[in-house]
Amino acid sequence: MEAEKNLRKEISEKLKDETLRDALGRFSEAYPIARAKAYENAGDIEALRDALRRMKIDTVARIGEVADRFEAEATKRGAKVFRAKDGDDLKAYLVDLCRKKGVKKIVKSKSMAAEEIHLNPYLEAAGITATETDLGEWIVALAGQRPSHMVMPAIHLSRFQVAEYFSKELKEDIPPDIAFMVQAARKELREKFLQADMGISGANFGIAENGAIGLVTNEGNARMVTTLPRIHVVIIGYEKLIPTIKDAATILKVLPRSATAQLMTSYMTMIAGPTPAMVKKDGKWVEEEKEMYIILLDNGRLKAARDDKFKEIYQCVRCASCLNVCPVYTLIGGHVYGHIYAGGIGAILTAFLHGMGEFEKFHELCIGCRRCTTVCPGKIDIPGLIEELRIRNVKEKGLPFVVRQLFENVISNRKLFHSLLRLASVGQKPFQSGKLIRHLPLFLAGIAKDRSLPAIAALPLRDRIGKIAKKIDSPDRRVAFFSGCTIDFVFPETGESVFKVLQDLNMEVLFPEGQGCCGKPVIAMGDVETTKKIAIDNIKALEEMNPDVIIAACPTCTESLRHYTELLKDDPEWGPQAEAMAKKVREFCSFVAEEYTKRGWLTKSAGGPKVTYHDSCHMKRVLGIDKEPRRLLEATGCELVEMKDADKCCGMSGLFGVKYAELSMPILEQKINNIRDTGAEIAACACSGCMVQLQGGLDKQLPGVKMKHVADILAEQIKS
Amino acid sequence: MNTKGEAWKRHFPTATSGAHLFPEFEMRAKAVSGEVFRVPDAAEARETLLRLVDGVGAKKAVVVESPLQEAAGITEALRSRGITVYTEPADIAAHAETADIGISGVEFGVAETGSVFQDGGAIATRLVTILPPLHVVFLPSANIVPGITEAFDIISQSFDRGYVGFITGPSRTADIERVLTIGVHGPNRFAIIAVDETPKGGEA
Repeated sequence: MEAEKNLRKEISEKLKDETLRDALGRFSEAYPIARAKAYENAGDIEALRDALRRMKIDTVARIGEVADRFEAEATKRGAKVFRAKDGDDLKAYLVDLCRKKGVKKIVKSKSMAAEEIHLNPYLEAAGITATETDLGEWIVALAGQRPSHMVMPAIHLSRFQVAEYFSKELKEDIPPDIAFMVQAARKELREKFLQADMGISGANFGIAENGAIGLVTNEGNARMVTTLPRIHVVIIGYEKLIPTIKDAATILKVLPRSATAQLMTSYMTMIAGPTPAMVKKDGKWVEEEKEMYIILLDNGRLKAARDDKFKEIYQCVRCASCLNVCPVYTLIGGHVYGHIYAGGIGAILTAFLHGMGEFEKFHELCIGCRRCTTVCPGKIDIPGLIEELRIRNVKEKGLPFVVRQLFENVISNRKLFHSLLRLASVGQKPFQSGKLIRHLPLFLAGIAKDRSLPAIAALPLRDRIGKIAKKIDSPDRRVAFFSGCTIDFVFPETGESVFKVLQDLNMEVLFPEGQGCCGKPVIAMGDVETTKKIAIDNIKALEEMNPDVIIAACPTCTESLRHYTELLKDDPEWGPQAEAMAKKVREFCSFVAEEYTKRGWLTKSAGGPKVTYHDSCHMKRVLGIDKEPRRLLEATGCELVEMKDADKCCGMSGLFGVKYAELSMPILEQKINNIRDTGAEIAACACSGCMVQLQGGLDKQLPGVKMKHVADILAEQIKS
Repeated sequence: MNTKGEAWKRHFPTATSGAHLFPEFEMRAKAVSGEVFRVPDAAEARETLLRLVDGVGAKKAVVVESPLQEAAGITEALRSRGITVYTEPADIAAHAETADIGISGVEFGVAETGSVFQDGGAIATRLVTILPPLHVVFLPSANIVPGITEAFDIISQSFDRGYVGFITGPSRTADIERVLTIGVHGPNRFAIIAVDETPKGGEA
């Protein structure tokens, strides 16, 4: 709880930090465009990503062998390799080495692994001066802060702030002129390079074939660090190892393009074994063989390599593109994530490198929008891994008492849950202050300033079935409609639209009374056991009607129903039934588009209102459905106008939108602004979660624009 | 790769590489603030270098020889201009930091990225490439490979030990407010003199 309070405090501070908000805002606008341009001459991006993924999967499967070869080849060429099991091990070795070699002054080029184990303070305490020479790292060190981004450590600071830190360090008045400051840094750090006894670098990759390390840099500091001092120490994590020299090309095709939108950084350097250095002896410069030490850092990495799911973190090349597209990171920056690795990937790395305690503090900041999965060069399923970590965490430690009570006794008990919802429709006010309410599905939670939350409908969909269900003789198909809680209790009119559209297609629509919550809010919190109970109840209710097809008009419900297969795969009784059911599950828009195509109805017509379509994260990136809803809208005669970032999260993401309303609101505001810019009369979407968020935002901020589900727009065209 | 940096030549893919890739290489190198001068022969190469030297008013140069430079008589030309030239490792170590210009040869260029590949196994080469504010390299204009993948076909067959890499434009940073600033720790100018004529003896 204390941790959560600190996190909230930090979030609110970051949201107030205009410099940070401005810098990240501009960056998140510029990055996707710059990245796309950098890949223009790279060939097939997907093929490059697949190649990297395959290479890394192959490597981690035999990481022990690859590490042995790396060590043997590096040793053969004269380097000394030390394997450090953790930060303490590494630090003890390094300080001992410094003592033996009389090292007092160290220059460092960037090493995230060194940041990870807090190396610098330890060296300082041992009387050794370590100077960061990457400009961003140096600035952050002068500021006494941590990097807020893996590639751009000082992105959160303005030139004015940097000038202050420089003035203090250099003891002269440094103007906030960027070119001037860079030159001041060059001058100051040049002296450090020339005087240092030891250079410490990280590595972007380590090649087993010849024991080489690779460095991908822009400033030239890594070349200085690895060239000038007589001793070179490399700190490299196991995940950076690759089998062959050619494999480096696989990384280099994507790393600069994804990280900084460069085709290649200014310097790409590979070093195999010690090379000569110039050492001054008795006033004369003489050539001497350098000493090279390579420290292979474990610190949780080898455990991850043995983990069937989490070996995926080896696919990370630290380009940080996942942060650059993350709706939450680009609002608040990296410091909030508590540790050295920020964003979704940061949460995962932290779980392994620093333990679950750290992970627990900020995993909720991943909203599962999956935008990162579209850019990650190693194709890591970051949100999927976070969900898996939550599940493991709950298995190990259980859920907080109130949440557990709620999940085990309320949401998984449909009758009780639904009667609570009905009660809420009558007395919404007093109910909202109750203790349980904060954890109930989003529409029962508190009101946010820039978003009205929709009221629970007076009459849920389930009570309207008698009026809307038509008897259809010899139907084309018998369809069971899985409405989900939100359509049932908040948007029953949309449920009616679904009935109307499907019945118009000569389908018999059934509403299984026994259906309840799809289980998404529960599994999202990591509670597998309760989700299983929910799943079984839903399978019973749906299959009882023996439908040909099961339709959900919400991508999250669709995904949850299909996920029952995985959830119950070890259950001999329900596993096969879950699988059989999952095959029938269809998302509304894609199903209707298919049926319209069969009938020749999916043709563009004109004369309708101007509509813009919001892609739900799960609709587009989990189900892969983005064209069908647009074609359907155009078929009704709507004039479709695309909004900017149509597929960027609206900020709801289940409980996140409520629990972290302060983060959800600015994301929503961007969405509303993008809708406004289109001049559309209607904002359409096809996800009930997004509907809650968009309706709330439009109501407060853009009341002239109506929010409609695609089903509603289709139903309006049907003469009853 | 041996210290003379010759091993890569045996693996240079003559079929896919060549001067026809030069325009793309030039465009990419210039896009990252590299200066590119393509010249027909050694005499023009020398004149181009002297113009660069005059432009910065260089008084002191550190030079690592390469066949193209020798063919063009670069070191002699600099000296006859009154410029102090250092070519020995010990002298380079003593003077690279205060030199106005560093000069070296590179092995080949990469069209996809505008990079040049250099074997920096010799300490003198690394000092010359990184310390002075202007770094000029000599490149045979026919030695251009299409992309990173092709470059690594060569590297993977010739790089056994030592210090090799790509140089792509001058050193740069965007660490303050993401404003691109050229010239941080390494050179703030990077010039490529690409020579069409192959020096006598048949090898570039």
